Amino acid sequence: MSELRALRRERVFALMKDADLDALVLGRRDSVVYATGARSLWTAGTRPFGAACVLVAATDATHLLSTWDAGVPPEVPFEHLYGVTWNPATMAAALRAISGFADARRIGVDALSPGFQRAAGRLAPDAELVPVDDLLHAVRAVKLPAEVDLIQRATSIAREAVEVAAASGLPAALRLLGERGATVPSSPPVLRTVDGVTHVDIGVIVDGYEGGCGRSFPSSPDEVFGSLVAASVPGATAASVRAAAGEATGWLVRGIGLGFEPPVITPDLGADVVLQEGMTLSVETAASRDIVVLTPDGNRTL
Amino acid sequence: MGDQGLSALLTAHRLSPMAVDEARMLRERHGRLQAEMARQAVDVALLLHAPNVAYSTGVARRSEDVTHAANRRSVAVVEAGASSPRVLVDVWPELDEGVAALADAVGPLAGRRVAVDELTGAMVRAGMLDGATVVEASQVIAPAKLTKTADELACIAEAQRRNEAAMVGTQAMVRPGVRRSEVAGEFLAQLASLDGGSTANLIDPIFEPMPRTIVVGPRTTTGHVAFPTGVGDPVLADGDLVWVDTGIDHCGYASDFGRTWVVGRDPTEAERELFARWCSVMIAVLDEVRPGATGGELCRAASAVEPADRPWLPHFYLVHGLGVESAEMPLLGTDLGPEFDEGLVLAPGMVLVVEPVIWEDGVGGYRAEEIVAVTGDGWCHLGGGHDFTPFGS
Repeated sequence: MSELRALRRERVFALMKDADLDALVLGRRDSVVYATGARSLWTAGTRPFGAACVLVAATDATHLLSTWDAGVPPEVPFEHLYGVTWNPATMAAALRAISGFADARRIGVDALSPGFQRAAGRLAPDAELVPVDDLLHAVRAVKLPAEVDLIQRATSIAREAVEVAAASGLPAALRLLGERGATVPSSPPVLRTVDGVTHVDIGVIVDGYEGGCGRSFPSSPDEVFGSLVAASVPGATAASVRAAAGEATGWLVRGIGLGFEPPVITPDLGADVVLQEGMTLSVETAASRDIVVLTPDGNRTL
Repeated sequence: MGDQGLSALLTAHRLSPMAVDEARMLRERHGRLQAEMARQAVDVALLLHAPNVAYSTGVARRSEDVTHAANRRSVAVVEAGASSPRVLVDVWPELDEGVAALADAVGPLAGRRVAVDELTGAMVRAGMLDGATVVEASQVIAPAKLTKTADELACIAEAQRRNEAAMVGTQAMVRPGVRRSEVAGEFLAQLASLDGGSTANLIDPIFEPMPRTIVVGPRTTTGHVAFPTGVGDPVLADGDLVWVDTGIDHCGYASDFGRTWVVGRDPTEAERELFARWCSVMIAVLDEVRPGATGGELCRAASAVEPADRPWLPHFYLVHGLGVESAEMPLLGTDLGPEFDEGLVLAPGMVLVVEPVIWEDGVGGYRAEEIVAVTGDGWCHLGGGHDFTPFGS
């Protein structure tokens, strides 16, 4: 994991250099994991934006919002932790104390809140706040080999749980996921039976990375799904993927990595998307879902 | 050393189950939000954060990762004076093309006073709020939801009862050699068995074996004990003190279950003493809960029982509120400081999760939590009344 952390971190600092950022403030779980590898307690749903992590170009330093060093990788020294606080003044003081923050000219962010905009205006008065979520996602879209391995591992656990859910119900599948150490869902588990066909879809996050699987029982040929998988290859665009789906709706092709990621292709979305080698995608219809990695000559199902 | 009469006290104050009128609940919340918007001259609230969407529209939260919740959302648009909120479904606010569709659906914002809770990069790039006067949405949401209606209290109580019910079978499998994730999997299975999945789990279930002395645990910025770290997958060992903390969502409302369990044996005398002291703090705090009491009075009541060391975790609180969020105002005993606590005056409908911690370095710690609501003349207990096994009388 330390090698993977180093490679991801290198990519993030290179992005900061390319985008001429003096500092990068990250609020999202997935961005923070990508940049630092830090582990933290998972909670469901959206969180209000806050400075969960600050990277500084000049010092090459990573500063993390954490009250303890558990889950914090060795690259982040204890002195670079700032504890959870309820007090905006305490948070402001913590950011002010970060070398290179107050005199930054360009600060990248992965999202914003009105409160943070106001605080940054006081703390780093000369700084322009630049959303770089799109640049971060572009860097993250092409996966490192170790990332593909982690997605594959999470996917194989999800696949096993799908079989158990179909045979023995959701509680049995949740127990199995517990035995596999996979207690964090990426999406709510689906188990529903309509007209004698049972559809199961399980998505999990294991070691930060998402895996997933969707199946129908009894299985029957899903031509749209097959066409979507075949169309998800390097060089494909939303237009070519849509052409493969024909008139069908209710399908989705989207990036998968540290959770749900761009690119997103649906019957309505994906105008500027061009799929590239090394991307990992979740390809799903109402009946089936698989995870694929794009290879030079097409794709491989994980 | 039993529970000092705490269980009987909670039972005597328990709120009876009540059928929830969801339409009324939604109407009353909308009225509160509108009143707050009028008071602060907000023209429109644009809400993307899932708990805020749940509060304003009734669209319940899902047990999903932030990356899923952020990419495809329901968004609430609350216009000042409107009789009901607008819900936009299947919004993609992380994508530039998704924001173009969102901006079309919301309509012009320039020149208006807009309360907003989050700006995605795509919203900033599109200049969606250019020309608007932007205020933090929590300024209108937080005061609106500070006190709960009767229906909201009933939802919280039901969420807590479901959480407690799922804990019965879960505790039965706690034994030496079991891993945290296996216990968590059992909890999630119990939850799914209860009601066919109408509750959503909101937090990776915490069953954390705690160190007996602070120094052998993770290093912290406060110098106190680290909890909850959510890191790794520890194996529970014979005699471990395990701090349990879980939260689920029912009809948009959070539960909060906290207990301390002992693995494989009964508590020692020293551990029972921790529990007895914890009960004394809890009873002392509850004794102060009534309309007009201040947060400062609650904190002082706790400290009077444990004068040597504040009986709660310094990075958290003695008391937190709970509603559509698992921790919201009123927060008491935090680093907002004593002045903030003094200024917080309890009012009927406020929900208080009281979570003292007794720590005796070398022995370990006892931590648990109970949810109460302020009533017209005191307080009521929310939940079904869960035992303190293996502690208690």
